[in-house]
Formats: sequence, structure tokens, C-alpha cells
Amino acid sequence: MTTLLKPFRYAWEYLKEISGENAYDRYLQVHTATHPEKPPMSRGEFYRHRQDEKYNNPGSRCPC
Amino acid sequence: MGNRLGRYGVWVLVAIVGAVCWGMLALARGETVNAGWLLFAAIASYAIAYRFYARFIQTRVLETDDSRATPAERLNNGRDFEPMDRRVLFGHHFAAIAGAGPLVGPVLAAQMGFLPGTVWIIVGVILAGAVQDMTTLFFSLRRDGKSLGQMAREEIGVIGGAAALIAVLSIMVILLAVLALVVVLALAASPWGSFSLAMTIPIALLMGVYLRFLRPGRVLEISLIGVTLLILAIFGGGWISESSAYADAWTFTPNQLVLALVIYGFVASVLPVWLLLAPRDYLSTFMKIGTILLLAVGIAITLPPMHMPRFTEFAFNGQGPVFAGALFPFVFIIIACGALSGFHSLIASGTTPKLIQKESQVRVIGYGAMLMESFVAVMAMIAATTLDPGVYFAMNANPVLLGDTVQSASQAVNGFGFSVSPETLQQTANAVGEDTIIGRTGGAPTLAVGISQIFSSVIGGTALQAFWYHFAIMFEALFILTTVDAGTRVGRFMIQDLVGNVWRPFGRTSWLPANLVASALIVAAWGYFLYAGVNDPLGGINQLFPLFGIANQLLAAVALTVGTTILIKMGRLRYAWVTALPLAWDAAVTLTASYQKIFSTDPAIGFFAQRAAAVQSIEAGKLNDTLKALKAESIQDAHQILVNTTVDGILSILFAAMIIIVILDAARVWFGIIRGTKEPELSETPWQESRLDSEGNEIEREPVGARS
Repeated sequence: MTTLLKPFRYAWEYLKEISGENAYDRYLQVHTATHPEKPPMSRGEFYRHRQDEKYNNPGSRCPC
Repeated sequence: MGNRLGRYGVWVLVAIVGAVCWGMLALARGETVNAGWLLFAAIASYAIAYRFYARFIQTRVLETDDSRATPAERLNNGRDFEPMDRRVLFGHHFAAIAGAGPLVGPVLAAQMGFLPGTVWIIVGVILAGAVQDMTTLFFSLRRDGKSLGQMAREEIGVIGGAAALIAVLSIMVILLAVLALVVVLALAASPWGSFSLAMTIPIALLMGVYLRFLRPGRVLEISLIGVTLLILAIFGGGWISESSAYADAWTFTPNQLVLALVIYGFVASVLPVWLLLAPRDYLSTFMKIGTILLLAVGIAITLPPMHMPRFTEFAFNGQGPVFAGALFPFVFIIIACGALSGFHSLIASGTTPKLIQKESQVRVIGYGAMLMESFVAVMAMIAATTLDPGVYFAMNANPVLLGDTVQSASQAVNGFGFSVSPETLQQTANAVGEDTIIGRTGGAPTLAVGISQIFSSVIGGTALQAFWYHFAIMFEALFILTTVDAGTRVGRFMIQDLVGNVWRPFGRTSWLPANLVASALIVAAWGYFLYAGVNDPLGGINQLFPLFGIANQLLAAVALTVGTTILIKMGRLRYAWVTALPLAWDAAVTLTASYQKIFSTDPAIGFFAQRAAAVQSIEAGKLNDTLKALKAESIQDAHQILVNTTVDGILSILFAAMIIIVILDAARVWFGIIRGTKEPELSETPWQESRLDSEGNEIEREPVGARS
């Protein structure tokens, strides 16, 4: 049964990675490893920052 | 020995399969050719190119070095710089480069037959498009993710940098106008399409609020809800179009749609990103990937025959009713993004290089994702050419040639040398739930009819054909609108950045008056071209699409010039042909097309020949024979033609001049280095050892190199 479900689990993990759902958790990891003294951004702040970065930059999406 | 045979034996097999498929495409007898040959010819060619040519570029030309730390590793901050799994990054990069271009271009190019466009889509991507993406990605990777404009300035000079910036801004404006035009043409007089597209706005707002306040970052669950609502909206549109009370209220003229789009574009670019743009982007990305996958499966299952001939006479006489101009250079201009797209060099030098784990991955991400994009273009070509050629021309020919009725359209198609009965045209329209399909130019409706025929033969039969048609229209319109939002926004930032150099406060992106002014400028610029295109007496898409193609290829020329310059500076002169040959071809195509657009005496092609005819008509007070032959109707048309051709002609001159300037400026650098009069100064970031596990370590998610 678990082997049958494997491809689906893999697909689900892939979707989570690609949609950015895991991005915040990873950011927390990096942040605590590199700057333990500074408080990390909250989840909301983090996604806001990511969005601004993405949509203010011509190199993030091809219009054609 | 045996091992070696085993290793290459499979490639010999792939080569044979590819050769047989290409042979069938080029030579098979009979009325139709099965799309399966095209599908497998493409896949075999991509596989060989990826295995051998991309590998050659990676190991010999670029000499990627996996012991060298990438910017993602060195500068890892968990946000914009971060080593990302290559499969995930492949998905991101592909989603970022895949837009409406490869779906529209091949449909228009199909007027010359299926072969010229197909050959360029496949050969072009292998030798030019994917090479451009891969090399630009690599060079940006070696420079901490610098943008194409910055690289052009540092490696070539100030002029090259300025040209890159102007190219980006002008391509953006023309592109947004062309794409908005595609939406207008697809939605005009279609209550079903207009309603379902309008519904995407409240759906996106709902998603935006959810992601902002209820559950930040939970993209998947809300996207699922969004897609479900979207499908309901398509069914809702079917209901609207049948109810006489609402159908009229949702039926818009092209000019009403222009106004709506301009207002929408302005508002959307000023609103906060999270409210409308970001949720729409999720929605359209999922729809896009989903539809492309469905289409691939649909074509593989049905293996439809292609009814369009290999070549039509329009490939040679340049008199095509969809767009004017002969095979060379216009197929290479019109296909645009599916084979070689300059805009990709901005993605390859933007977000992606900041996320790459290992240098060798530029092959799968740069070259591989572009092969996928090309495959999408191949599928669009298949969808368009499986249509009855008569139906294809009745939908795509310049509307002024077709008249308003199925009878007049049928006659006009006969005049093009194809045949279609008025009844067939009416039946096709009825089957997809539209009043008419005559003169539905812009590519999207044709593709939608093709997709609906392929999908409905797999799921639902004729009962669902109208649904699939509007599904396809909605999916195209949705991501074109996302592009319009995003493009207007980026254009606004570029203007603010430009003016900010002169007058500081204007550059502050948080200053509302500056935002409003810059947004209004960008929207006015593309809105102007959109309006001119919709009201062009000679048909807008055939005038504007070539301009967009030229602008996009111009940007590709800039990227390939930067690439060639860097290769020469790296001391790889003997391999510089890898980017220099596509550059030479691209320059030849773009300059020939520009030359014809500027100097051709054929008024169907040359802007200034058209302009002269308009001037003459206005002076004489009545239309002259040239304009009558182009089907202009009144002296007002002549005035409109005068304005449009002046603007388009000047733009063509500007584009051509820029290509020449960039290449000359770079050639000065090249020959300086080759003759030894110039020191090759490279602006690469110095080598630093990578502490990440070597390639293939997919569990390696921890930033090992960050702290030791």
C-alpha cells in the first residue's frame, strides 16, 4: 500500500515545494542557523516580502 | 566495448526513430499527415540535442565547475538567494518562461503550412533559443545573478547597456498591446467568454484575502478552491450565453473591451500585489501547466491527422491573409517565443541564477526548460493544423477580406485557394457555443477550437465541446491578463527607475503620485497600441504581431551578443560560434524583416509604402487603388492608416538601429581582444569552494555551506 501511494506522496511534496508552501519553514531554518540573535520575519511578513520581490522585477516572469 | 555499444546503442535507436518521423513529415504521401510523427520527431530531436549538444556546451564551451560555490550557496539568506532542488527550480523556471507567445505564434505561422513553422520551432530551439537561455543563465550565475542589462553594460559598454534597457521597455509595451489585443479579439461578441473571464477577478480577490489574512502561504488549498470556482464560472458562462436577458448585458464590442482592459490594467498595477496579481498568478500558473499536460495527453491519445498542407503558396508569395510577408524572414519572426525568445534572457538573468545549486544544472534548467517551451509551441502548431484549413483561414484571415457572413467568408476562403462550405463554418461555430467564428483573429480562438476538438474526443464528446472551447479561451485570456498586470507593473518600475536617475523622488516606489503617473504612462503606451490595433482598418494583429516578434528577437540579439562577448573574454574564441552563429542568423532575420517593413514597396508589407498610399489618398480626397486593394473603406480609414504606419514605421527603424548599434559596439570589443589591443576584463565573481554535496544529492536541503 505504501509503495502504491509513493508517487502521490512525491507529487504532493513536489507541489508543496513548487508552490512555496515550504519556503517559510526553510527560511526559518536558515535564519536561526545564520542570525540566531535577530528575530525572524513572521510568516505573513515573509510571504509579503517574497511577493514584492517577485512582482517588482522584470526578471521574474516572461510576459510572452 | 560492449558497455560502450550499450551506451550509444539507445541513442542510435533514438536517432533512427527521429529520422523516420522527420522523413514521414517531409515526404509522406496522402492528404494528411498524422500528428504523431510530428510529436515523436520533436521528442527524438530534443532528446538527442539535450544529450549531446547541451552536454557539449556544458562541458566544453562553458566548462561548468561543480566545485565552485554558486551565488545561492555563498549568499544564502533563505529568501532571494537559496539553493533550490533542481527539479523544483526547473518547475519554477519553466513556469516563469512559459507565456502566451508559444501558443499564439505557431497558430499564425500555420498559414504557411505546418512544416516551415515546425522546423524552426525544433531546430531554432536546439541551436538558438535553448542555447541563449542556458548561456545567459550561466553567465549571470558567475556574476551573482546580475541582470542582462547590467551584464551588457559591464561586458560591452554603456551603449550596449542602454540599448538593452530600451529594448526591454519597448518590447514590454508592444507585447502588452499585442497580448491585450488577443484577449479583445477572443472576447468580442462572446458573452460566454466575457463572463467567465470577468469572474476570475472576484475569484482572485477571494484568494488574495485568504492568503493574506486567513492562511498566509497556504497556496495549494486555495488554488484548488480557485480552480474549482473557475470551472463553475465557465459553466456559468454557458448559462449566461443562453439566457436572452443576460447574454446582451455580457456582449461587448471591441472598443468597450479596450476601455475595460485599460482601466483594469491601470487599477491592477496600482493595487497591492497580494490582492489581485499574486493570487491570479497562482491560478493562471496552475491552469497553464494543467492545460499543457492535458493537451499533451490528448494529442498522444487521439493522434489527430493534420489537415493543413506542408507548405501553402503563402510561404513563397508573401501574400498570406493572416500576415503578409514570405517564409524568410517572417516565419522566424512570427514563431517568436517557441524557438528563440529574447525575453527569456531576463528570466535567466533574474530570479533563477540566485537559486541554482550547482553550475552543471544550467543544462537541465536553462536548456531543458526551453525545450519544454518549444514542445508547447509544437502542440499549438498541431492543434491549429488539425483544423480544416478552410475553417482555419475563415477564422484567421484579415476580417476585412472575409466579410460578415458565412457565405462571404466561404467565398473569400475559396479565393485563397482553399474551400469550406458556409454550413461547415456555421456548424463549427455552433459546436463551440459561439454565434460566429468568422474573422476571430489573434490565434487564441483557433487554438481553442483545436483544443476543444482534441479534448472532446477524449472526454465528453460533442456535448462538452463548447465547454472545452471556453475552457481554452479562459485559460489563455486568464494568463494573458496576468501578464498585463505583471507587465504593467514591471514597466512602471522601469519608468520610475529611469526617471529616478534624473529626479530622485520619482524613483521611490512607495510614493503614490509617482506610482500613479508611471502606471498611467505605461498603460497609456500599450493602451494606445491596443486601441490602434483594434481599430486598424487593415486588421491589427497582422500589423502589430510582426513588430512584437522583431522586438523580441532584438532582445535575443542583445543576449547572444553579451554571450559571445563573454565567451571571447574567457578565452574560448574557438567556441564562440555557439552563440555567434545564432546571433548572425537572428540578426539576419531581424534586419531583413525590419528592412522589408521599412523599405518594401509592397503596401501589404512596407509601413512607408502604406503610408505613402494614405497620404496620396488624403491629398486627393478619395481612396486610391492601393488602399482599395487593401480593403480600406473610407477616407477616415486613410487618416487612421497614416497615423498607425507612421508610428509603426518609426518603431521599426528604432529597433533596427538598436540591433546594429549593439552588435557594432560589441564587435569593437571582440576585435580589440582578438587583435590584442584590448585587455579582456571579466567581471566574474572569484572562485570559492563549494561545500554543498555534489550533484544528485536530492535530500540535501540544508545549507551546509552557510555556517561551519
